[in-house]
Amino acid sequence: MRVRFWGTRGSLPVATKAAAVRRKVAKALMLANGRQFIDEAGALAFVDSDLDFATGNTYGGATSCVEIEGGDGSFIVCDMGSGLREFGLSAAARCKAGHKRVYHFFLSHLHWDHIMGFPFFVAAFDPEAVITVHSGHADAETALRRQQEEISFPVPFDWLKAQFRFVTLEPGTTYECAGLKVEVIRQYHAHDSYGFRFDDGKRTVVYSTDSEHRLGDMDHETRFEAFFAGADVAICDTMYSLADSVTMKEDWGHSSNLVAVDLCHAAAAKRLVLFHHEPAYSDEDILRMHNETIRYEELIREDRPLLEIVCAYDGLELDV
Amino acid sequence: MEWSNRKTATALVGEGTGRVDEASWELFLAEINAAIVEAAALDLPLVIDLKGIDYMSSRGLRVLTLAKRAADAASVGLTLARPNERMTEILAISRYDKIFTVTKGLEG
Repeated sequence: MRVRFWGTRGSLPVATKAAAVRRKVAKALMLANGRQFIDEAGALAFVDSDLDFATGNTYGGATSCVEIEGGDGSFIVCDMGSGLREFGLSAAARCKAGHKRVYHFFLSHLHWDHIMGFPFFVAAFDPEAVITVHSGHADAETALRRQQEEISFPVPFDWLKAQFRFVTLEPGTTYECAGLKVEVIRQYHAHDSYGFRFDDGKRTVVYSTDSEHRLGDMDHETRFEAFFAGADVAICDTMYSLADSVTMKEDWGHSSNLVAVDLCHAAAAKRLVLFHHEPAYSDEDILRMHNETIRYEELIREDRPLLEIVCAYDGLELDV
Repeated sequence: MEWSNRKTATALVGEGTGRVDEASWELFLAEINAAIVEAAALDLPLVIDLKGIDYMSSRGLRVLTLAKRAADAASVGLTLARPNERMTEILAISRYDKIFTVTKGLEG
């Protein structure tokens, strides 16, 4: 299996501003300290080896959209955030090269940041495309149709050319879909959200975003430990610090990096992907959160196996 | 994890030892809640002495939040004291050092 991250930001899209880029360039020049590069490849090698991720790159600002490659070769995509536009362009290029035009979407929930990419999804205009939208919500079709209404967007849903099917999933049921086994779990979030566990028989990927693990209900985490059990990759909502998640942002429907580490440890998951980044965070903030999460895992690991901590960014590809 | 309370001239001091994680958080919560009741009866603040605590996972930290709410409701001051290096780091990473008073000694 392979996981591609097309959008990793929470709540709303953000862009790196000119002042931040200037600071990155200035920091890189200072670290280069007068070094000469004979070509761009040499300069890029310096970026990769000598600069931290926040200086040499950016985590990006598109909202949730994650592609899972595997199964029977259909496109499998979690959420339709603003990252869906870029996925759609990539998918179009792949279809032109012979990829089948079958899409399976799994929607964690219907809040705007998780469906806002749909109006710009080019495959929706492809008469040969077959698009199935799987969701724990029976009102998924309503949500997608509503944002195409004239008051919000100039192209109504009924003008779309693809063949659409909407499937409502039930937690506790195991589904066979596109060559994968798919399980669903209900999560705490306004209007509910759902996590998904994808298993190809050899590897397992869990997608669990917009999921609060409430302070006064710690027992419910045992359900999540079972859902995450043995996962090769667990993509988790790590939007806030633990302190924020239990104070001013309690009941906002999100979780913290520390709870994600503890769930993954208890579940013996192998790799945790930090996801749904706080939109107010700069690249430096996200890098610091990543490093702190690695350190926290070290501090509490004891005799458990190492949990690898990966920080998602727009464009990241993970082999599973 | 083990727990004991002792009264000083200025506070009730609750001392824990060991680690607070998914196996021990419930005991930790029960002991702190009992200590808050005792501190309220004595009209003293409660100091949680972390010197003997190896570390806390997020479950232990969240117990501290529940304890803080119970202490506030009972008008009992709550302070964390003498965390070891590992706990000091965990308090910083979790940002709990921003929402709790953390002191190096028992007397603040």
